[in-house]
Amino acid sequence: MPLIMEKQANKANPQKWLELYGDLLYQYALPRVNDNVIAEDLVQDTFLSALKGLEGYKGEASEKNWLFTILKNKIIDFYRKKSTEQAVMTMPDLKRVDDEWFNEEGSWTENRMPKDWQAADNPVERKEIQKIINWCKDHLKALQQAVFTLKYMEDLDSDEICKVLKISSSNYWVLIHRARLQMRDCVEKYWLKN
Amino acid sequence: MKKLMMKYFMVNCKEATFLMAKKEEGKLGLIDNMKLSVHTSMCSLCKKFEKQTTHIGNESRHVHAADNLPAIAKDKIEKILGEYSS
Repeated sequence: MPLIMEKQANKANPQKWLELYGDLLYQYALPRVNDNVIAEDLVQDTFLSALKGLEGYKGEASEKNWLFTILKNKIIDFYRKKSTEQAVMTMPDLKRVDDEWFNEEGSWTENRMPKDWQAADNPVERKEIQKIINWCKDHLKALQQAVFTLKYMEDLDSDEICKVLKISSSNYWVLIHRARLQMRDCVEKYWLKN
Repeated sequence: MKKLMMKYFMVNCKEATFLMAKKEEGKLGLIDNMKLSVHTSMCSLCKKFEKQTTHIGNESRHVHAADNLPAIAKDKIEKILGEYSS
């Protein structure tokens, strides 16, 4: 009996949603869609979907986790829709893609070689590197940015990402390779500046 | 024979860094896995690349904006939620 009582404690309280989770959901959404108006809309849509689905909420997850699950689905939907806008998401020329990083033998070119640096290991440094990561991610080209966000910020696997963005698996691996090269290079540059 | 074996198992830095993304998802076959291990055991640059890229990947999921939901958006959402629940 006491167990059941405890489970019922997870009750949705829509009047408090905006106050309790409005900022949190927005802070999560913004770096993942990289547009404040879209992030605002996603928070609004999350609350509306949650209200509509209120009866389906059994209280198994906390209210907060439940709202975040809805938001994460909306973020994926955003990329699904975006992938059909051809002009925004053009595929780069994949054959020439790694030329600037490696020479003809496939070895690192002089100015792209990874340097030595310490990983962020305390809360202040971690916040700092996360800021740099976000800045660098914003400067990736559209499709690489989408691939990087879905893979590393949303934790989707390659098969899921291919479906969402409607790209082939071989294109995916080239895009993520390129994104990883660029991200590491950019993060290193700004991390060492600090 | 040894030379031939070595040649077969050698990948360059470009290929090695490419294979790393697959390895991260457990999508690397036995042979490619061996090729990659051989390479990274000898190449300090690629070792560095792997370590740093993993670090970036791990920190990426914690990225949050510092900004709060703008007041105008809050008002709008409050209104919509109010209309919906009444």
